[in-house]
Amino acid sequence: MLLCPVFLHRRRLTLSKASYFRRYWQLYALLSLPLIYFLIFRYGPMYGVQIAFKDFNLFKGIGGSEWIGFDAFREVFGMREFYSTLRNTFMLNFLDLIISFPAPIILAIMLYEIKSVWFKKISQTILYIPHFISWVIIGGIVYQLFGNQSGMVNGVLESMGLNTIPFLTEKNPWLITYLFTGVWQSAGWGTILYLAALTGINRELFEAAEVDGATRLKKIRYITLPSIKPTIVTLLILNLGKMVSIGFDRPYIIGNTAVREYSDVLSTFVYRIGLESGQYTLATVVGLFQAVVGLIFILGSNYISKKVTGNGIL
Amino acid sequence: MTVNVNQGVLKRAVGIGLTAVMGVGLLAGCSSDSKTNTATGSTASPTESAERVTLKVEIFDRGNSPAPYTITNNYLSQLIQTNFGDPNNIDVEFVPVQRSEEVTKLNVLMASNTDVPDIVFTYDSSVFYRYAQQGGLTDVGALIDEYGPNLKKFIGEDTLAFGQLDGQQFSIPGKRAITGRYSSYIRQDWLDKLGLPVPTTTDELYTTLKAFKEKDPGGLGSKNIPMGMALAPAQFETLIYSFMKPISGELTYSQRYELPLHEGFKDAMQFLNKLYNEGLISKDFSLDEDKTQLAKDIQNGNVGYWSEDVDVLFYADGTLDNLYKNVQGSKVQPVDVLTNANVDNKHIKSRYASNGMYIMIPKSSKRAVEAVKYLDWMATGNNLIDIYSGVEGENYDLIDGIPVVKADVAQEFADRLFNAGDTAIISNSKNLGDQATNEKAWISGFPERNQEALKQSIAIANTDTIGPIVFGKPIEAESQYGTTLNDKLAVIIVKTAMVKPDQFETVYEQEMKDYMSLGGDKLKAELEKALTEIPAQ
Repeated sequence: MLLCPVFLHRRRLTLSKASYFRRYWQLYALLSLPLIYFLIFRYGPMYGVQIAFKDFNLFKGIGGSEWIGFDAFREVFGMREFYSTLRNTFMLNFLDLIISFPAPIILAIMLYEIKSVWFKKISQTILYIPHFISWVIIGGIVYQLFGNQSGMVNGVLESMGLNTIPFLTEKNPWLITYLFTGVWQSAGWGTILYLAALTGINRELFEAAEVDGATRLKKIRYITLPSIKPTIVTLLILNLGKMVSIGFDRPYIIGNTAVREYSDVLSTFVYRIGLESGQYTLATVVGLFQAVVGLIFILGSNYISKKVTGNGIL
Repeated sequence: MTVNVNQGVLKRAVGIGLTAVMGVGLLAGCSSDSKTNTATGSTASPTESAERVTLKVEIFDRGNSPAPYTITNNYLSQLIQTNFGDPNNIDVEFVPVQRSEEVTKLNVLMASNTDVPDIVFTYDSSVFYRYAQQGGLTDVGALIDEYGPNLKKFIGEDTLAFGQLDGQQFSIPGKRAITGRYSSYIRQDWLDKLGLPVPTTTDELYTTLKAFKEKDPGGLGSKNIPMGMALAPAQFETLIYSFMKPISGELTYSQRYELPLHEGFKDAMQFLNKLYNEGLISKDFSLDEDKTQLAKDIQNGNVGYWSEDVDVLFYADGTLDNLYKNVQGSKVQPVDVLTNANVDNKHIKSRYASNGMYIMIPKSSKRAVEAVKYLDWMATGNNLIDIYSGVEGENYDLIDGIPVVKADVAQEFADRLFNAGDTAIISNSKNLGDQATNEKAWISGFPERNQEALKQSIAIANTDTIGPIVFGKPIEAESQYGTTLNDKLAVIIVKTAMVKPDQFETVYEQEMKDYMSLGGDKLKAELEKALTEIPAQ
């Protein structure tokens, strides 16, 4: 640690390969641990992908089951449910991108503009808390707040002589509930990366702008936003890559039978056919499909972003 | 320099230390820790240890083991070890499986081949058929004949037939002691307040519910729920059964998601739609799949009429006790109201088949003989009573040959039996003889203050019941489309109930078309074909 980089560099050149390894083998040993982790837990399970092409029999195991080619794919692509869940996955993710993606940016800029340090600190802490609450608990809170009969919000509406709103049991109001629960849960946590990027802005830029008579909004538009553009683009690419994958907890817990038309997504579909009815082959097919489409999306959005902005992540 | 040297040594030491620690951690993560404990109490004498074998038995873990017991080491596991294990030179080991993830965990165990217990079970017939068809189960027919005479006698030929596939006995079905399922209840104090009689038909019920809504006898305002509803079988099945026409005689298709294939299903949905739109049932019933909200509403005194599983209300500190505590002067009366116009206005309701869970021995098990011996032991003599009722004089008194639970049983004795129902797998509830005796024994386990109401409740549950058709072979479409259609059934109920009455027709037609195209039509065809192939029952 005490050695300066230049010194280290020169030393390395003078070392032979063998003595280089002898000197630095601990670093490689440390590096090997995450590598082993990836091999065992990320690449190892890919062995199971072949289930998608087999008539999987629990008792014969993966190796002993018979190959069936693309039969399972044909069956999945022939299921009407598959398309409705695929549509819902895209729809929920796309709306999430429109509503939930800008939220942390706006929030981060607002926090950045606050001058009072203690108020900023307290607000940040309060904003982070929802991130640490599990969806199961959020689901309980949402039901208590937005139910028709026992929900607090509808209770207030009713006592004011207004009509109740079926936040959970009709598909369009439900969509709004779903999206804003997401914003509530993740927007605060999402500000962290943007705040980090914001602290890197040179304060002199603002002072110069002030001298030129720029208003606060103009400063945000011409200094703050351009400075965090690379961060925004990177996160946008990552989010686009996730378009076809969707978490299981949120749609499963916030969703209910009355809004199944919207809340049934690929992950809940896989859970139902794979784990509940034991059709592992079909579930693997859907999982594989998700992975392939996800890869196409992330490569595609990275390509476009490189062309348009010059920034990419790969 | 010395500083540098020391740092080098330190760095190396830390590096090695870290590597070792992380490596060990990683390896520890890999080794699957089997959560099995051997039931203690085994005092194997050295002479017989040579041929001593281990029999692994699945057990449901509901996370309710009272201290000092654990799910794998408790009064009953010790009793089994002493009375069955030791004399037969067998170590009985219990393998816990979380109740709520039972099928998922069972799938994993079955796939592992080596870790799978020698005795496993499930309530789900499609899971049993899938295992049997994929060749994962032992045919126990011959084994039962040789090692299980008591077991065979206890379960009986009729019930054993549930466990057969193509003439082979791939599972041993548990025997169900009580086949009644549902009863309904009304708030007698509400009726009294309004000067109304107890309703006796579906039409009268509707009038009563209307009165509950308009006159609000509980003085509840917006909290008033004339009829409690949840998206759970105990609520919607009772309603549907009171409209639908059985397939033949007093029999219906066995699976819940096959209800829409019966005539009269639409009328039930239309009635539910009317109730919902007139504000007579719980507004949020579609969110309440586990009946928690319903139970809460009942015990807060907000509900006028509802149906439930026959026993649910009556446990100590259960829904009924809480209601009486919360609402002064409240009184609940079990009633049999809904009448079925398709079946001579009888109070038609569903009953269980005579089997309980499917007990299976995996093909990979090397202890099939011991497994059958274990089940046979359980069916022998007094053993089942010992498991279900504990110790005479401490847990129960024998009255007219029926073990009656002592009213003032000490907690430490009661704790012995916390997993009795899950241990006595061959018997769903206490099987002592005929149904009436079983019911008597069952009732005796409830608090005395609730026994009379439970008795009435059981009598209602046993009135005009119709049961499932037994095909004796798997219906392929059931295992293929079952989960999807089960989900769809819930959607049909919710959507047709919640739509405005003038759009009911359109939505119902649309949803049924959907149901049919999701596999309903294939299921219907297969069921009708299977129906022609069995002799009239």
